[in-house]
Order: sequence, then structure tokens, then C-alpha cells
Amino acid sequence: MAALTLDALTVKFGGLVAVDHLDLQVRDGELRCLLGPNGAGKSTTLDLICGKTQPTSGRILLGNQDITNLPEFKRARAGVGRKFQTPTVFKDLTVIENLEVGRSSEPGILTTLRVFRSPVRGRMKEVLGLVGLENEIRTRAENLSHGQMQWLEIAMLLMQDCRVILMDEPTAGMTVQETSQTASLLRELRGDHTMIVVEHDMTFVREIAETVTVMDQGALLSEGSIEAVEADPAVREAYLADTGDEAHA
Amino acid sequence: MNTGFKIDCIGYGLFAAFVLLVMPWMVDFSGYELNSYARYLALGMVAAALALSWGTAGILNLGQALTFGVGAYIMAMHLKLRASESLPGGMPDFMGWTNVEALPWFWQPFHSLLFTLGAGVLIPVGIACLLGVFMFRGRITGVFVAIITLSLMLAVQLWIISEQRFTGGENGITGLAPLNLFGWSVDTYELSFYYLVAGCLLAGLAVGLGLVRSKAGLVLRAIKADPERVRFFGYDVARYETLAFATSAGIAGVAGMLYALVLEFASPTYMGLSISLAIVIWAAVGGRESMVAAALGGIGVNMAEGRLSDLFFDQWTLMLGVIFIAVVLFLPRGIYGLVATARDYLEARYTERVAMALNREQDDAARPVADRGEVK
Repeated sequence: MAALTLDALTVKFGGLVAVDHLDLQVRDGELRCLLGPNGAGKSTTLDLICGKTQPTSGRILLGNQDITNLPEFKRARAGVGRKFQTPTVFKDLTVIENLEVGRSSEPGILTTLRVFRSPVRGRMKEVLGLVGLENEIRTRAENLSHGQMQWLEIAMLLMQDCRVILMDEPTAGMTVQETSQTASLLRELRGDHTMIVVEHDMTFVREIAETVTVMDQGALLSEGSIEAVEADPAVREAYLADTGDEAHA
Repeated sequence: MNTGFKIDCIGYGLFAAFVLLVMPWMVDFSGYELNSYARYLALGMVAAALALSWGTAGILNLGQALTFGVGAYIMAMHLKLRASESLPGGMPDFMGWTNVEALPWFWQPFHSLLFTLGAGVLIPVGIACLLGVFMFRGRITGVFVAIITLSLMLAVQLWIISEQRFTGGENGITGLAPLNLFGWSVDTYELSFYYLVAGCLLAGLAVGLGLVRSKAGLVLRAIKADPERVRFFGYDVARYETLAFATSAGIAGVAGMLYALVLEFASPTYMGLSISLAIVIWAAVGGRESMVAAALGGIGVNMAEGRLSDLFFDQWTLMLGVIFIAVVLFLPRGIYGLVATARDYLEARYTERVAMALNREQDDAARPVADRGEVK
């Protein structure tokens, strides 16, 4: 069954069509990579799914539920999680406080007014171990390294336990080693969570991708396995016209 | 998320001891000064209320004096009715002078003490909820919140001044009867009244502390840093902001009721620009991040004002001004900032030590796989 379906999704900013009748289906538990040259509309697509931007027309379905017109917080409750390009953690809060904010299965005031502790056990402990932050629980997020901040944000999404996780360049600014650790983390999450990852780093994409969707000028250009997409002449033309090397596109 | 809780409780305990024991001890537990001290506590309470919305949730309410003033008027209306029982129609004197024929309907329920006490909290809360729904659902933030709250307060103040027939106008509501609280006739110069005010202040702070240190408070701190991000975790940001705003209004309402009791009149100046800005200054001096610190700021500044104006007739405002400028320049987080920095330093040293001890333990054991090695 499709975890997420985009149906002729379109958004116009003034005269510019940023996303143009985009159809997309992502299976439950799939890790989908979204590629495309700068300005292809990848980040805008994620913004549309999570509700940061309202579409001009088209529909977004989460499972069978139409979430096109829901406000952001209701989409999040329905199961959409978003990781932003620059690590967007709460810098004044400690690691565990950030994760506690992330644990939002019961986001109502009446519940949160009665919660006073964040015990490090169960899912919290598991997630801390998964991203390797178990010794930094009391560290303020602003004192973490850039890579750790990225992991913290991923960890917050894991605490949120959303059905679909949208990631915008999760490895931006990471060292080679951190990137490969992130790749193995994402491979581990695949299956339990449905993920859409926007990424420029082709080495990284090759490490994690199952199905790749390529966008150009707001529209779907090609879809398939990484080999098939790389062989697609349309992709080569749109993407590689000037450099001739996808890895540096 | 509970490291701060214990330290907050210690701070709260010290503050309670200061308010309940040290302050009355300074005036030998009796006398005229106690009344002034009760006034300082009421003002400290409204500063704490501001700290709740400003310091915790990042909502700078420049109209905090509105809810404070509403509370004061509500208390004054009740006491005025009690004082006017022997007058024709049971109407307040100023209504008679302006030829009002019968007691207006919105004065009627204030005959009841219980209604008055409830209204003193709930009407400010209601005002804040209504305003909050419009502002926060519309995602109005920052300086615009300050402008809206300030304008609303000034509008209400103008209305009160212009509707002299019903509100006493510029003169406010004066000539009040003493409060009769379930058989206890309150004398505002007695120690028991001081303790009533102190009890209300401590109760208000306890409510605030519970809110700030619960997960709801954590979400509010997150909202202060980045409301957009919090929305994507599924929290209804507008509702959380309204919660902080309304709780703050309720506490300010109680402070206003106490203030009217202390001064024995209510005046439109209670919801004026100068007191509203003064509240911001008190909270800033004490430290807006902590309600207790802000309350201390309110008490301390007012106490200093009282002392300085006794000693120097004219120059004391100048001195206060210099103190404020110094605080803003050198202690942007207020006096609380100093304490917090020291606390963070101690905490960092403590965790360092714990980590070292843990490492030693791990070395002794067969060194289990600890970190990211598992993920690979």
C-alpha cells in the first residue's frame, strides 16, 4: 500500500510554477531519493507535503487520508515528519529536552501539563543509542557538533515516530565519516519508516537508494532504480548537460 | 528535562522564606510599613505574571497592566457596593452625582463575594483567551503582539475614563468598604493581611512553576525559540501560547485585586502606560526567564524606590534610571542571568565528574560496545 501519494500536485509562486502536476507514490517502508538540479522543486515538494507551503492545486494523501488542507500540526499528528536542510533543533534546550519535544504522540495541553519527567528508557534509550548521543543527554544542543545536531534532529523525528519522514539533505555539512554513518542509520530505519530523502551527494544516494525519482523544473523527469535513472537520456540531458558527471551536478 | 526543577524548587523555597519571614521581620512584624510591603508583593506578582508569558513563551505583553487593572476594578466594584449599601438604590455615590437611575446590570453580580473572587481571575483569563485566539491563530508574533496588547490596554483605559457614570472615570473608584472575607474583616495594616497577599503570591508562583516545569512549559520554551519547528512536531502552537498568556493574565488579575485592597481604591492609572512599562522593567531587572526572579525584581525595585525617595527627594528617579541602564547593558538576562551562569558552570563540572567516574567504571568492566559502533 502507498504510504504517501501525490496527485497532480501543483504550486505557483506568482508566474513561476515551482511544482508542476507532480504524481508520486511512495510505498510503506520505502526509502525514496528525490534528485534533481537546483531549482527543480525538490525542497518545495517536501514543503508541500509537510504543510509549510499550500499547493495551488492537486492532492496529498497519507495512506487513505487526504491531508491537502490540514494545517501543519495536524499533518504532523497524522504522521508526517520533516527534517530541515540546516539542522533545526532547539539550541537552548538540552539533547533530552529536544527529544522530549520530539516525543509528540500526545501533543495536547492536558497531557503535557501532567508530564514532568523524561526517563531514559524504552524508545528514548533506543533512539539515543541509534544516533550515538547517549553520553550527551544533558548537553545543550548549541554545544553539539554540526553532525551531532543533524543526528539529533533525525532522533527527534524518530521519537515523533511518524509514518513518513521527509529529509532535506540530511548529510549537508557532514564529514565523510559522518555521512557514511548517516547512510547506515537510514538503511537501518528503512522498512520501519517511509522516507523521502532529498540529496545532492550521489555517493550517498548510491549507498541508500532503492527507488530514485528525478525532478526537473517542477515536474517528474524519471523514476526507477539508480542504474535505470542514470542511464535515462532525459536525465543525462537535464542534469549533466554541462558537466557530464552526475556526481558533481 | 528535570534538572532545573530541583533548583527551581530551592529558589522557590528561599523566596518563600524571604517573603514569609525576612520581609515582615524587617519591620518587626507590625506597623504601617507592612502595608507598603504588601503592595510590593502585589507588584512583584504582576512582574512574575509577565515573566511567565514573556520569559517562558516569548510573548512580550506590553499591556500586562490591563489584566492587573481589571482585577483591581473588579475588587473595587465589590467593595464599593458594600460601602454604598445605605445610599439610595444601593448605588455608588458617583452614579448618583451623574444621575444614573439604577445600578447598571454589570454591577449587579458584584454584590456577591464569590462571584467577585471568581471574576477577578476568570475575566482576565477570558480577555486573554479571546485576544490570544485572534493573535496566535493569526500567527502574530514579536513586536506586533506588544503593539496590540498595548493598544488594547490604552483603549480600555480611555473607555473607563470616558464612561464616568459607570466607572468613576478619572477619579477611579474610591471610598471602599473593608473586605469581609467569610467573616474575617480584612484590615490592610495587619500582619494577617500581609500573609494573605504573600500566600496569593506564592500560590501564583507555584502554579507558574508547575506550568513552566511540565512538558507544556518545555514546549513553550521550544516555541519561544522556533514556533515553526514546533508545529511540525504536531503541537498546536496557538493553543500553547494562549495557555501561557491566559495563565499570566489570571495571575495578574489576582495581583490587581490585592493591589486594590492594599491601596483601598482603583484608578485608571492602574492600567496606564507607565505602570505597564514599569512591569517590563521589573521583570527585566529580576530576570524574565524565572518567575521567582521577576517577582524579586518587582519587590526589590519598588522597595528601592520607597527607600530612595525617602532619602533623596528628587534624584531617586535618576538613580533608578542609571540602575536600569546598567542592568540592560551588563546583565541582559537580569540578575537571574548571573545565578543561571553560575549554576550552569557548577552543573557542567558535576556532569564532567560523573562522566569521568562512569568512564572509570566502564574501563573496569569488560568495556561494552558503547557508542556508534553499534549502528555500523
